[in-house]
Amino acid sequence: MSSTPLLQVDAIDASIGVINILHGVSLSVSSGELVTVIGANGAGKTTLLRVISNLLKPSVGLVQFDGAPTTAVEAHRLARRGLIHVPQGRQIVPTLSVLDNLIIGAERSEIVDSETLVENLEREYSRFPVLRERKDLAAGSLSGGEQQMLAVSRALMMRPKLLMLDEPSLGLAPQIVKTILNALRQLADEGLAVLLVEQVAMAALSVADNAHVLRNGEIALSGTASELRRDKALVESYLG
Amino acid sequence: MLDTYLQILVSGLAMGAIYTLTAKGLFIAHLATHKLNFGQGDFLMVGAFLSMSLIIAGIPVLLAALLVLIALGLLGWGLERLVIRPLDRFGISGGSTYSWILTTAGVALILQNIAELVWGKSSHYSPPLFSEGRDNVIEIAGINMFVEEILVIGFAAVVVAFFYYMLFRTRWGRAVYTVAFNPEAAMLLGINVRRTVVLVFVLASLLAGISGILVGPLITIHPHIGLMFTIKALAVAAIGGFSNPLGILIGGVLFGVAEAFSNYYDSAFGDLYPLIFVLVFLVFRPSGLFSEAQADVR
Ligand SMILES: Nc1ncnc2c1ncn2[C@@H]1O[C@H](COP(=O)(O)OP(=O)(O)OP(=O)(O)O)[C@@H](O)[C@H]1O
Ligand SMILES: [Mg+2]
Repeated sequence: MSSTPLLQVDAIDASIGVINILHGVSLSVSSGELVTVIGANGAGKTTLLRVISNLLKPSVGLVQFDGAPTTAVEAHRLARRGLIHVPQGRQIVPTLSVLDNLIIGAERSEIVDSETLVENLEREYSRFPVLRERKDLAAGSLSGGEQQMLAVSRALMMRPKLLMLDEPSLGLAPQIVKTILNALRQLADEGLAVLLVEQVAMAALSVADNAHVLRNGEIALSGTASELRRDKALVESYLG
Repeated sequence: MLDTYLQILVSGLAMGAIYTLTAKGLFIAHLATHKLNFGQGDFLMVGAFLSMSLIIAGIPVLLAALLVLIALGLLGWGLERLVIRPLDRFGISGGSTYSWILTTAGVALILQNIAELVWGKSSHYSPPLFSEGRDNVIEIAGINMFVEEILVIGFAAVVVAFFYYMLFRTRWGRAVYTVAFNPEAAMLLGINVRRTVVLVFVLASLLAGISGILVGPLITIHPHIGLMFTIKALAVAAIGGFSNPLGILIGGVLFGVAEAFSNYYDSAFGDLYPLIFVLVFLVFRPSGLFSEAQADVR
């Protein structure tokens, strides 16, 4: 594992309006590592990802990505540099076709020549074959699971260095959750840095290397995923 | 008699083409920002006056058109930068404010007053674009048609085709639909939302400018024609439910043709009937012709 982490979050405070949501949150993710942040409804998981991708400025603290502070970098530029955030609710563009959704991802990451584009598309189609079958359909007509696969594939078309996912399991059948989490594990094994935000603790812990439990905007518990898996009762007491 | 009907039909198609172009401008801005430019018709008016003055000054039509489009592009950019964006952080609807109604209508009034200062209150005739005289006719299938009208229809068709190409086949078009869906998700996809929105307003303004150039030789122009065009373009966009480009195309053409015939039968109140018809239509289909093909998913 590389010496300096790809993503380093240092003692972040963040507020929405006058309400302080995150308090002194620190974590790091290295290339090849899958880190999960688990927390109950309203714990501040989405807020944390929004701070990392600079949709929300932290009031205190520093986020560093790829060796540089993100403070002055606009969200769309961070995305082009490979900090990819798949937001809660997937946010695929329902009026565009599946293929167009994938192309949007490729377009902003300098995948311009058609050969590379086709290569990347093929790679995603073999990852999630259902996307190939549905490529000309409006993305809005896909099922929830297919939409989540599309969201992951679209993100991967953007050449991520760090892939952040906000509750990809939300509303999906366990079998599909498994497919998606396994895909994430494999991506990490191939060298990608993955930050997975989840409410379904045990599923996330089963694929993660390291884990943090977020409660009321604070990190209440950290450890390796296997440590936290062994202490299921403790983890669940924080999620309750 | 048939000749007369065909001539009316062509006149209607020509005006319908203008309404379609103007409405496309409203549509695209609404798609991307959920806002409307109530000065869209006044942008058209400015385009018509500028083009008239430049052509009368002896500047070749193509160059004059280019200059008008540059001016209108700047106007669209200025509108976004000074009138739309300051209302919220990104130039994207926060959903809670309707101040853009006041600010864009304010811009419309300012443009009308400037036009009065420059060109006076009276009506003007714009020189023809394509032929020697405004009334030049060409015989097609034994029927005399105005050259200007025929060419306006042809030219507008090219512009509409180009518009479709931009929206459905280019990187920018995909960006517009992504921003329309969710600006924040668009940013996370690496889309420069602010620049996309600026381009939307520039394009909307160019569409008004093109409409103004084309309509000049077909009507008499004065500083207050803008509101009428805004209202008619709104009616046409409403037929398309503000979300369906094809509905807007059909709506614009139908509106122009209906208006031409209703003016033929009632020269005093002819303009009124198509608008009344649209009002009644909206009572029965409030979301437009193709409501099931809604593009606006919010
Ligand atoms: N726009 C907002 N205005 C005010 N409070 C907000 C806003 N957005 C989030 N909050 C509050 O911030 C806290 C953290 O929200 P956040 O969305 O980060 O939680 P979460 O862990 O992602 O929850 P969920 O699992 O439901 O997605 C919650 O208490 C929420 O009520
Ligand atoms: Mg959340």
